Amino acid sequence: MRRFLGFAFALACLAFPAMAASPDDPLEADQAFRPSVRLISETAGPPGRHGIDVEFQIADGYYLYRDRMRFEVLPATLPIGPPEFPRGLEIEDPFLGKSVIFRQKAKIHLPFTASSVKPGQYRVRITAQGCAENRLCYAPFVQELPLNIPPGYRTTDSLSRPLPPGLQR
Amino acid sequence: MKAWVPFAGVGVLAALAGTSLWLASIPAPPPQPKAEAVEAAPAAVMAAKFTDLDGNSRVLGQLSGKVIVVNFWATWCTPCLEEMPGFARLQARWESRGVRFVGLANDDPVKVKTFGEKLAINYPLWTGDAAVMDLSRRLGNRIGVLPHTVLIDGDGKVIESRIGVYAEDKLEARLAEILARGS
Repeated sequence: MRRFLGFAFALACLAFPAMAASPDDPLEADQAFRPSVRLISETAGPPGRHGIDVEFQIADGYYLYRDRMRFEVLPATLPIGPPEFPRGLEIEDPFLGKSVIFRQKAKIHLPFTASSVKPGQYRVRITAQGCAENRLCYAPFVQELPLNIPPGYRTTDSLSRPLPPGLQR
Repeated sequence: MKAWVPFAGVGVLAALAGTSLWLASIPAPPPQPKAEAVEAAPAAVMAAKFTDLDGNSRVLGQLSGKVIVVNFWATWCTPCLEEMPGFARLQARWESRGVRFVGLANDDPVKVKTFGEKLAINYPLWTGDAAVMDLSRRLGNRIGVLPHTVLIDGDGKVIESRIGVYAEDKLEARLAEILARGS
């Protein structure tokens, strides 16, 4: 009987793939491009380097355009400098010319000067645009993530993920 | 338990596995994302306002045709730009049978005109504000991606809503099918 059950299990495993759901439906933008933010303080980053790291986890087969990203910190009482991007991958598009894209992962640093920081609750608003390889592109989308800067933030660092859709903006 | 029961069970499972493997061996059609349910009423679709490349106000209801192919696109969307020349060829082949193509973009009219000329697009390209993508969403594009192509009849009733590239041969077959049944 045990031998029979083992054989039946093996056959069921063979049968299963044909019944599996199709992976071809495109992901929602928030699933394809998953950002998180981390406050970089003197203890978490290089000395004298302050700011916010935005790290995107990008699903297989998807990519983000570097030059279509915009970052804001709200309220705007925390001024950030120009984003510092990783190298990325340069592609030649037959229609659009050269572009730099990010696949899999991208960490973007948003610098600020320590003296400009006031502790409080902030939101990092990201506007981005990307595509699923050879299939379709996402209209520019906005993602917001909470960022807490506690009193004495230089001794801490924090990681946060996107607000639930209903809490954005 | 009767002695034949395990063998019958094995037989049934083997048949299932065989069928499964046979099904898996059949070449699958190209992946085609599904659009979601359509929320826009036909009258609202036909009354939605856009601007043509000469700055005139336009509505879809002005396109008198048996089938109107509404293509949502953008100048930054490479898959859109790749499929549009095929749409232009279909417009030329099917215009006499009452098919009307129109491209809708929430984009800079100057860029739209430039790409329209570069790709030799022979159907109207209209632009609009955020209402373009809003209409696209209400026509089944819940996740806001491009390209999005919607086939509607002359009364604004949606026949098909598809996100992702609509291959020229597939769309041609679909148009033939729709016109053959008199939609």
